[in-house]
Amino acid sequence: MSRLAPIRPLLAPVLLIVLVTLVGSLTSTATQQNFITALVSVTIVIGLYVFMGNSGVISFGQVSFVAIGAYAAGELTIPTGPKHYVLPGLWSFIAEHSVGNLPSLAIAAGLGALYALVVGLPLMRLSGLSAGIATFAVLEITYNLLTFWPKIAPQSGQTLSLVPTTTGLTQAAAGAIVAAVVAFAYQRSRRGRLLRASREDQSAALAIGVDIHRERLIAFTLSGAVSGLAGGLLVHQIGSITPSQVYLELTFLTLAMLVVGGTGSLWGATVGAVLVSLLDSYLNQAENGLHLGLFKLTLPSGAADLILGVLLTAMLVLRPRGLTGGREWQLGRPRVSKIRSASAMSYLGRGRARR
Amino acid sequence: MGTSGASRDGGSSGARLRATDVARAFKGVQALEGLNFELGRHEVVGLIGPNGAGKTTLINVITGFDRPTAGAIELDGVDVTGWPASRRARAGLARTFQQGRVFGELTVQENVELGALGVGAGAHQARARADELLSIMQLADHAKLPASLLAHGEQRKVAVARALASRPRYVLMDEPAAGLFESDISAFAEVIRSVRDGYDAGVLIVDHNMALIMAVSDRIEVLDQGRSLASGTPEEIRRNIDVAAAYLGASGVTAERERG
Repeated sequence: MSRLAPIRPLLAPVLLIVLVTLVGSLTSTATQQNFITALVSVTIVIGLYVFMGNSGVISFGQVSFVAIGAYAAGELTIPTGPKHYVLPGLWSFIAEHSVGNLPSLAIAAGLGALYALVVGLPLMRLSGLSAGIATFAVLEITYNLLTFWPKIAPQSGQTLSLVPTTTGLTQAAAGAIVAAVVAFAYQRSRRGRLLRASREDQSAALAIGVDIHRERLIAFTLSGAVSGLAGGLLVHQIGSITPSQVYLELTFLTLAMLVVGGTGSLWGATVGAVLVSLLDSYLNQAENGLHLGLFKLTLPSGAADLILGVLLTAMLVLRPRGLTGGREWQLGRPRVSKIRSASAMSYLGRGRARR
Repeated sequence: MGTSGASRDGGSSGARLRATDVARAFKGVQALEGLNFELGRHEVVGLIGPNGAGKTTLINVITGFDRPTAGAIELDGVDVTGWPASRRARAGLARTFQQGRVFGELTVQENVELGALGVGAGAHQARARADELLSIMQLADHAKLPASLLAHGEQRKVAVARALASRPRYVLMDEPAAGLFESDISAFAEVIRSVRDGYDAGVLIVDHNMALIMAVSDRIEVLDQGRSLASGTPEEIRRNIDVAAAYLGASGVTAERERG
């Protein structure tokens, strides 16, 4: 058990991913899609968390990297024959090459990282509100490029289809676990710890030598890689993609997932993604009529998004640090709050005695 | 301070922290005015003066948290005036803050480790330095507590340990002893001496605890309204009547004499 101690906080997220996978495997093919979506959401939200959670800076632009990953993995896995027909305007080096499933995911992650690095160079000098607005601008730029630039995507925002559907439960779970391991390794690393310190107190971080811009850029790039991977998983789940699928709605939804779970921890990102994703899936089904045993629940159109909005708002007001309080869950350890209060008592006792 | 300090450099090794003709104005208020200051390795300098004298501003300007409106900062012969604070820290210039500024959610031990990690130490080395400093600073019992749970005086000790974990060449401490119990002060004075002797570092200490300043300082600089008012050994300063007017008040001087 002591050998496991350093990686203990990783166990809870990984076990939750495995649990979702197991439950999903027991359900019908149609229902299983909800669980695959939950696992892909975990990867997207972990990507978001790697930057936002560790730096404390908000970003509305992370879904851009999901979009880049999705289009890259999608276009590169369509066989070259049909690709010439459906994507006539494509750059020749994209049109004339096709790769397998795994290489496409690796390329998606690589391009996501590269795009984040290029965008992050100017952006990471900003903070607060201007950083938020600038990352939003990145989302806007990416959306328009993918909609109106036929050299990299289908003409005028049409659907990119014919993508092999390789993301089943297994691939979605494997991707989510890879994302969790990467995020955990980073937050435990020297660089991750320095960035998290700057999140708590910028001046103190500067005083111990932390180059905050550089550390943020590194996290942003890593976050781009995880998000790109998530995009690859997403396009291989659906088998097609449009720019609007990786735009505002997904941005709102994934931010809600992270906030509901708790921005400060990997455990929060995982819990939030699983819960909100499943809730979202079932609420959307309920808009078309959802059978619950003998009853049939039918929600009016728009109710799903409305309920999620209310949930997010309530969370921000009532529990701003999320369901997990922004803490990791360490299996096999007493709750942190108990340690805190017990030690605080003993400490106060000592203080009095000395006086 | 002033001319006596500036003329001492001569042909020496240049291993000094030096502020030359430093000025800093805030919207018409002159916080520092043509100030010269020097700190050698292996030296403890006490910086005293009334509130608003410019003590914290001087620390901010030297460490890069504030830009001087005129003048230059030199670290062991290198002009660092244009360097950001983090780079100066990595070059061996550590500081603490009046407000403590510990990373409240992290444990005491993690706080101290970060001081080493920030300047490039590996995790293993950081752990070793933290263990050593926590024991020196008598914080080992609290190592696993979140730093925010400690009393304010103890938090400042954590901040000092964090600054020392970087193995600085110079460390500038802004009221590190505020909030400490009287009984802890002598132990803290011992820590400062061992920083000078053991780590071979230069120490600048700003504090309102005159007993501490008198006990640890090799030299004392007195600031008033952004200018150097006096400079000398603790004994000289104690006798200096200008200081009495500016800082201690007549009764304060009497009290110091009686105690001495």
